[in-house]
Amino acid sequence: MKNKGKSKKAKGKRKDTMELFLATVVFLLLPLTAASAQQKDWEKDWNQTLAAAKKEGSVVVVGSPDPVMRGDIIPKFQARYGVPVEFLAGRSSEIVARIRTERAAGIYSVDVFLSGPDTTATVLYPEKMLDPLKPLLVWPEVVEASKWKKGKPRLVDPEEKFILRPFSSVSSLLFINTDFVKPEEIRAAKDLLNPKWKGKISTEDPTTTGAGANLAARFHHQLGADFVRKLYIEQRPVSTRERRQFTDWLARGTQPICLNCREDDVRPLEKEGFKLLEVFGLTDLGPGINGSPWLMSVANRAPHPNAAKVFVNWMASREGIELYSRGYGSATLRTDVDESFLNPGNIPRAGVKYFDDTEWSWVVTGRQENREKVWKLLKEGKRP
Amino acid sequence: MTSIAATAPAGIRFGRFRLAEFGALLFFTLMMGLPVVFLLLSSFNVAPPSKEAVFGFGNWSRAFSDPGTLSALWMSFLLSVTYLIPGMILSVIMAWLIARTDMPGRNLIEFLCWFAYFVPDFPLVLAWILLLDPSFGFLNSAAAALPFVQAPLFNPYSFWGIVWVHLATGGVWFKVMLLTPIFRRVGATLEEAARVAGANNLTVLWRISLPVILPAVLAVAALSFIRGLESFNTELLLGTPVGIYVYATRIYDYTRYEPSAYGEATALGSVFLVVLAILAFFYQRRLKGKKFTVVTGQGYSTLRVKLGRWRYAALGGCLAYFAVMMALPLSFLLLGSVMRRYGFFNLRSPFSLVHWQNLLADPLFFLALKNSLVIAAITALASVALYSTIGYLLAGRKIRSAPLLEMLTWLPWVVPGILMSLGLLWMFLATPLRSLLYGSVWGIALALTIKESPVCTQAFKAAFLQLGAELEEAARVSGASWSYTYRRILAPLVAPVAATVGLISFGSALTSISTPVLLYSARSRPLAILLMEYSFTGEVERAAALGLLITAIVSVIMLVGRKFVLPLTGSMEKG
Repeated sequence: MKNKGKSKKAKGKRKDTMELFLATVVFLLLPLTAASAQQKDWEKDWNQTLAAAKKEGSVVVVGSPDPVMRGDIIPKFQARYGVPVEFLAGRSSEIVARIRTERAAGIYSVDVFLSGPDTTATVLYPEKMLDPLKPLLVWPEVVEASKWKKGKPRLVDPEEKFILRPFSSVSSLLFINTDFVKPEEIRAAKDLLNPKWKGKISTEDPTTTGAGANLAARFHHQLGADFVRKLYIEQRPVSTRERRQFTDWLARGTQPICLNCREDDVRPLEKEGFKLLEVFGLTDLGPGINGSPWLMSVANRAPHPNAAKVFVNWMASREGIELYSRGYGSATLRTDVDESFLNPGNIPRAGVKYFDDTEWSWVVTGRQENREKVWKLLKEGKRP
Repeated sequence: MTSIAATAPAGIRFGRFRLAEFGALLFFTLMMGLPVVFLLLSSFNVAPPSKEAVFGFGNWSRAFSDPGTLSALWMSFLLSVTYLIPGMILSVIMAWLIARTDMPGRNLIEFLCWFAYFVPDFPLVLAWILLLDPSFGFLNSAAAALPFVQAPLFNPYSFWGIVWVHLATGGVWFKVMLLTPIFRRVGATLEEAARVAGANNLTVLWRISLPVILPAVLAVAALSFIRGLESFNTELLLGTPVGIYVYATRIYDYTRYEPSAYGEATALGSVFLVVLAILAFFYQRRLKGKKFTVVTGQGYSTLRVKLGRWRYAALGGCLAYFAVMMALPLSFLLLGSVMRRYGFFNLRSPFSLVHWQNLLADPLFFLALKNSLVIAAITALASVALYSTIGYLLAGRKIRSAPLLEMLTWLPWVVPGILMSLGLLWMFLATPLRSLLYGSVWGIALALTIKESPVCTQAFKAAFLQLGAELEEAARVSGASWSYTYRRILAPLVAPVAATVGLISFGSALTSISTPVLLYSARSRPLAILLMEYSFTGEVERAAALGLLITAIVSVIMLVGRKFVLPLTGSMEKG
């Protein structure tokens, strides 16, 4: 009887243990099941989006003329999702004029903008041409914190929901042709003022908007008006609007110091054996970073909202970002992009303080104010 | 002034011509007047974009108070006049040699002028830099080998460098193209009479041939002057490095500001309207009360002036000019398209077909090629149909609104390209036809047809001014209807001009960038936009390859036209 009672007790204990075990298993599996359900929900939602995108027929993307878009993005995206990319290329001012006129006539033709910081921050955002991008980013690999160097996708507008910045690359300050200029001759910004370099420096025309004026604005901001006056007036730099022209001057050595040459233009010349050195920082002027080649945003009242959603997710994914990173030699803000092909100098280093040329308040106010001051100075100095 | 319209019976003339006049006025007012009014009104809007309009003079005062504006205007004027004068002299001589003399190889010279006109400017200017740059220019390097040369002989980055390159790129070819068919219509009767009276060939050219084509010469000079004022591509490449800024550059700068400043750009562009009004005034005054009829019902003869022993010297001169001004840079352009990097001969293996391969492999290329051919064909046909009518109406001078209509036809050239494009965009979107026009090849073709209005109108007007009234009278007396007369008498006589206009429109439609840039969609993207994309991203070699391809297309069309179309009209010249 006693044994019977003992066995009953033992049975009860086993039952309890079993229940506890089952409860633990259920408790442990519950999140996985929920995750799986969530995964199923996400996939279902994504498949619906994809089907709708195919029905919409295309996605209209607007940006600067862009060989990566033409050669890589358009064919790859179409092959992967069966949705053609209609890419409208033009100077930002032309694109903006077109979109404003379209909108005034009640036409909304654009889905996605891949635009520079000036256009994005001074036109698209303040003129309320955008829809929030954040809720459209749904791919696990796009939203997962571990995939981004900053712990999340970097949305750079003041509300942190409209504009994605996927790139952050150390920008070149200047290039020198070391057959004509020894690297130790340009250690500090003030070395550029050496009379030896009079007429030997090339720049994109600083008297109009563009990279030339932007760099002059940064010099003005960080080194002062006197430096700008000496560099842009007394040193008689040779200016042009044609980027190919100053890259050729750099290679030939006619102007062996180039302030606005672009890394993607210079790289092929380096491969040909020209001794061209990219300078990222000087002793009196720290290195800078920028968000080149573009910031991404979605147009409001987009004609193909589902196709736009598919496009922005793919574009922000590893595959999309890496295509641009390879094409432009830009470092990205993603953690999973192979950066071994980049010039190590382009990858920002931890602990170094960089001047951010794409930082919102600098683009919206700082740069414009400094640019105006530079223009005034150049006019007063009657730059020849 | 003898008029064609004046010969038509009053009742018929009134109905037909009034209807045509009304149609032309309505079309041009809608297509050219309205966009310009829109632009002008917008230029007074000083409110920030997308805010409610506030009108004021802020944009205008900002544009004109800039101290650089006046000096840039003066520089544009100086440059334009400097290359206009030698350009006109050379063009008149060359067109006369081609059309009115027995110079051997004249068809070849005419073909070369056409070919040269359609070679794209941008890579050609780069070719001149490679030839003339003081540091690495091929000609300077060659000259430096001479014992007496101590310093570079040539410098493209200068006032005279810009003048030279303009003369080489568009300064002569375009004018020869327009003047040659006009010279062809000058019958030999007057020239023979002069020669009987003892005049030599030069006197005949100066005192007989030239005065009877005066309207055409003045129109071509005015067209070239306006084009000169608007030019800025060459000045950007050659002038900016040495601080030469022209007026059109300032307008261009305003259009590319961020945020853009189209108000200021329009304010500056309005100066062209003033220049146009002044030119129109002097043009009308110069031609008033004069008669330019050279093709009459009596004894029309196309006998050519005999140059005697000078005929080969003339050919040699033309060929030498072509060789220096076009063949030399063109050879560099051709080389550029097959070089790994344009102008860098010191690379390990400098030549490669990779840029041609990349061009043909570009996923956008074939669609753009198809679009361009469709757009160019529509533009050419539409231009001939539309501007032959306008030229006929204006030459008749019996329509009441001739000055207004003529002014309207000039507008597309006095408004800078990108602004005109913006005005047309606004116009297209405001019409019920927007779904047909906006973003389609039709809309681009219409815009391009409008853009070439001054050159097409003036070419047809000058041609119709040469036709005598008795041609129509004789036809009518014989019982021919107006349309039959037009089709069988007038049209064949102006066919060479029609062919010229068609080809110019076709070629311009292939190469124009500023007109379609705001109007194209991904489905209607033309080759010129692709060319712009290549240039923008520094892909000069691929741009050179595409530019050559466009030139080749125009050349083929031109050869086909000369082979099959002109003989049908009886206008083919035997070289």
